[in-house]
Amino acid sequence: MTDLATEPAEIEAAPAEPSRWRTGLEWAVLYVLSIAGALVISAGLVAVTGNSWQKVFGALLDGAFLAEGRWGNTLTVAAPLLLVALGMVVGVKAGLFNIGQEGQLLMGAMAMAFVGTKLAGPGPVLLVLGLVMGVVAGGAYAGIAGVMKYRRNVPEVISTLLLVFIAYQIVGYAITTDWFLRDTDPDRPSRAVTSAIMPEGIRLPVIRMFGNEFPIGFVIAVILAFVVAFVLVRTVWGFRFRLLGSNPKVAQKMGIAANRTGGMALFISGGFAGLAGAIMLAGGSSGFRLTTGFATNIGWQGLLVALVAGSNALASIVVAILFAALRTGSGFLASTGVDRKIVDVVQALLVLALLIPPAVMFVRRRRKALAMADEEIDLANEEER
Amino acid sequence: MAEANSEFVLELHGMTKRYGEVLACDNVDLKLRRGEIHGILGENGAGKSTLMRMVIGLALPDAGTMVLDGKRCRIVDPTQAAEHGIGMVHQHYSLVDALTVWENVELGEHGKLDPGATRERVVEITERYGLDVDPDATVRDLTAGMRQRVEIVKCLRHEPRIIILDEPTAVLTPSESQYLFEVLVQGVRREGWAVALVSHKLDEVLQATDRITIMRDGHVVERVLTDDADAASLARAMVGRPVTLRAAAAAAAIGAISEEAIATSSAEDSHEGEPPVLEITGASVKAADGAVLLDGLSLDVYAGEIVGVAGVEGNGQAPLTRTLSSLITLDSGTIAVNGAEVRSGRAGAMLRAGIAVIPADRHDSGCVPQMTVAENLVMSTLGEVSVRGVLQGDEISERAQGLIDEFEIHAPSPDTPLAQLSGGNQQRVVLANALSCGPKVLVATQPTRGLDVGAIEYISGRLREAADEGIAVLLMSTDLGEIAALADRILVIYRGAIIGEMARSEFDVERIGLLIGGSTAEAGVT
Repeated sequence: MTDLATEPAEIEAAPAEPSRWRTGLEWAVLYVLSIAGALVISAGLVAVTGNSWQKVFGALLDGAFLAEGRWGNTLTVAAPLLLVALGMVVGVKAGLFNIGQEGQLLMGAMAMAFVGTKLAGPGPVLLVLGLVMGVVAGGAYAGIAGVMKYRRNVPEVISTLLLVFIAYQIVGYAITTDWFLRDTDPDRPSRAVTSAIMPEGIRLPVIRMFGNEFPIGFVIAVILAFVVAFVLVRTVWGFRFRLLGSNPKVAQKMGIAANRTGGMALFISGGFAGLAGAIMLAGGSSGFRLTTGFATNIGWQGLLVALVAGSNALASIVVAILFAALRTGSGFLASTGVDRKIVDVVQALLVLALLIPPAVMFVRRRRKALAMADEEIDLANEEER
Repeated sequence: MAEANSEFVLELHGMTKRYGEVLACDNVDLKLRRGEIHGILGENGAGKSTLMRMVIGLALPDAGTMVLDGKRCRIVDPTQAAEHGIGMVHQHYSLVDALTVWENVELGEHGKLDPGATRERVVEITERYGLDVDPDATVRDLTAGMRQRVEIVKCLRHEPRIIILDEPTAVLTPSESQYLFEVLVQGVRREGWAVALVSHKLDEVLQATDRITIMRDGHVVERVLTDDADAASLARAMVGRPVTLRAAAAAAAIGAISEEAIATSSAEDSHEGEPPVLEITGASVKAADGAVLLDGLSLDVYAGEIVGVAGVEGNGQAPLTRTLSSLITLDSGTIAVNGAEVRSGRAGAMLRAGIAVIPADRHDSGCVPQMTVAENLVMSTLGEVSVRGVLQGDEISERAQGLIDEFEIHAPSPDTPLAQLSGGNQQRVVLANALSCGPKVLVATQPTRGLDVGAIEYISGRLREAADEGIAVLLMSTDLGEIAALADRILVIYRGAIIGEMARSEFDVERIGLLIGGSTAEAGVT
């Protein structure tokens, strides 16, 4: 009798909500599985090209973290990636898709180069001035897109993108023009056209630990990631950005002018990219010189970082390190005889892998609900019999 | 056991569905009979739509069984529902504006496209049920009523035995609603359909159904035969407490104006010597394509009165609302609050001047569904919940909780995303947001459209209260019943201008009717 009474209660209790940590675990397992899947496919690709995948992964891991001084390099590369991603996050929250970071980054680097090689003064002052001017230059460059958007309704997606190609030309002009940034030193080490080298006093301080070294750019970027996370969630400015991004009409009604707040968001977004450029130059990229190929796709990859991190400032830190690791790791691939392009494929596979878990969770939830309904019908039919 | 139930086409047993923390349907039983219209009555958020979505396979039940013709079955998507002979006409139409009627009917079909056959099928269905839709008309050119007929044709094409209608008359005129019910009754009598009519309108449920199931908070609270039911008892069961007659009159979409409400109208206030709070003079604005939106519109609203603006939709209510929300810049004319001119089209200028707006479509400029309830509640008073630009989380929660309690908003917590609330509760959030910033003028456009009796009563009451506190209230509505029940003074808007005015004591349905149609001469306006 008691058995009969307690049984239904148990059946009812069964479909209760799964506990939070279990859901968290499911997510973690899914991410691990999909990343592992991407690595297996990558390994297959390497094997198909006639190489040993153990060697390739070993080289990647060595190049990114394990070999002497390598994780310092990884953090050095992660800094500008993270900064660009933060700029993207700010833009996206305000409903603006600034995809011209590659160009804004170049403008920031150019400003730093100008301050470093053309102005005279105490090193630390010039360094700080250079960083500030980098922010201003990147922000102002994105601001052009802002003016076009709010004066003439030009979509910022298009204008920021096209401004990248103009930026390439501007940098090309600057470093080939004697009175501007061109290195006119007859004793320069190579005959390539570059800007003058950043003087010793105007370089970012370097942190040394455990045989690794990296400029303080990474520390600045991580601090800024926390600042962005705080500002977006906990301040009036962040609220205004988010309101503008969620519903521009409500924003206008509440006194948030799209042109001023949106323009500010674009400026900040470009400012982060400009800072990334300034930090790269003062941190030693391209041998402390501005060159035509200076940006090396950091601007584009930073976008990817923000995308994979789901426009979350703190998640961007981890993703930026992962992407930086792939970049630095691929530097060691040459020794294994594998085409470096394989790393691009691995990177693309990883991006896809990170997008899979949310889709899988959706399908799983639906399946679970269906299975439960099935069980119930079977149970009910049995009862009837 | 199966034979005993054969009079039922569809039986639902213990249907349960939970969305996050909200139990939308809790152990609901429902039985549909052949040749009968079954009304499912309840407030917004009572679980009616969720129940129907489970029947049609748009939502999967957490628990419960469906029995179709005495056999247990499971429906996982609308295609399968159609195979079982279940069709649904949705509250929101899913038609493609740019396509013709027959193309819309064909959408979502499998296999090869056969325009000739589809057109013939459409013609056949429309003729059989007297639906009178031109298969070659473009949907964009059709009225709301016609669009719904297209939806019905889409539903009937699969020859369903069970038809579900979700709030079918929400956007229909009274005569269109009447027509819809005639078609339904005809189908039920002739073809033995089982119809489930989901609604929160008492009068149409009383008029059209044979049997009524009343839901509240996800439960079935009462089942009655329509012949044994009356409006007052249904309203009480639906809301869970007695409802005042006036709000019920305002709720009736068919503008039956309560004589009593007019008779008890308060004595006319005279405003002589006292300046108006809101003064709009000669407001004119054209759209980018040259269409005239407002054409020299002038009106005054004094402190403590509700001015009702009656008119057919599309005569300038939306542009006026948008102008007062700082969303439109006037080409000419002025807007002044307490004598001080307010610049139109400048972000937040109207709000700063003390004009709070409840828009007709709350998702357009009323609230932000993806933000939390608390964020929606404090967005107009950010300055009061922040210190030097930093938001004070505790103060926001406290303030939000205060408003949630005061405005009886049903929300699991202040941090719930607004989108998870029912329509009526979202509207309360919009109202709370508008009233909490201490406005001098409250503009409400269609504030109760689509809401249930309880919410209509509540919001009407708050508008009255706001006026009693000295706020100048401008109420725009296409529902004459609502205007008659609330307004102290009635204006008629037509083609972007005010063409007539009458005090509450002079309220004359016939004259308003003429004015709404734009015939000033016959209405005796010079």
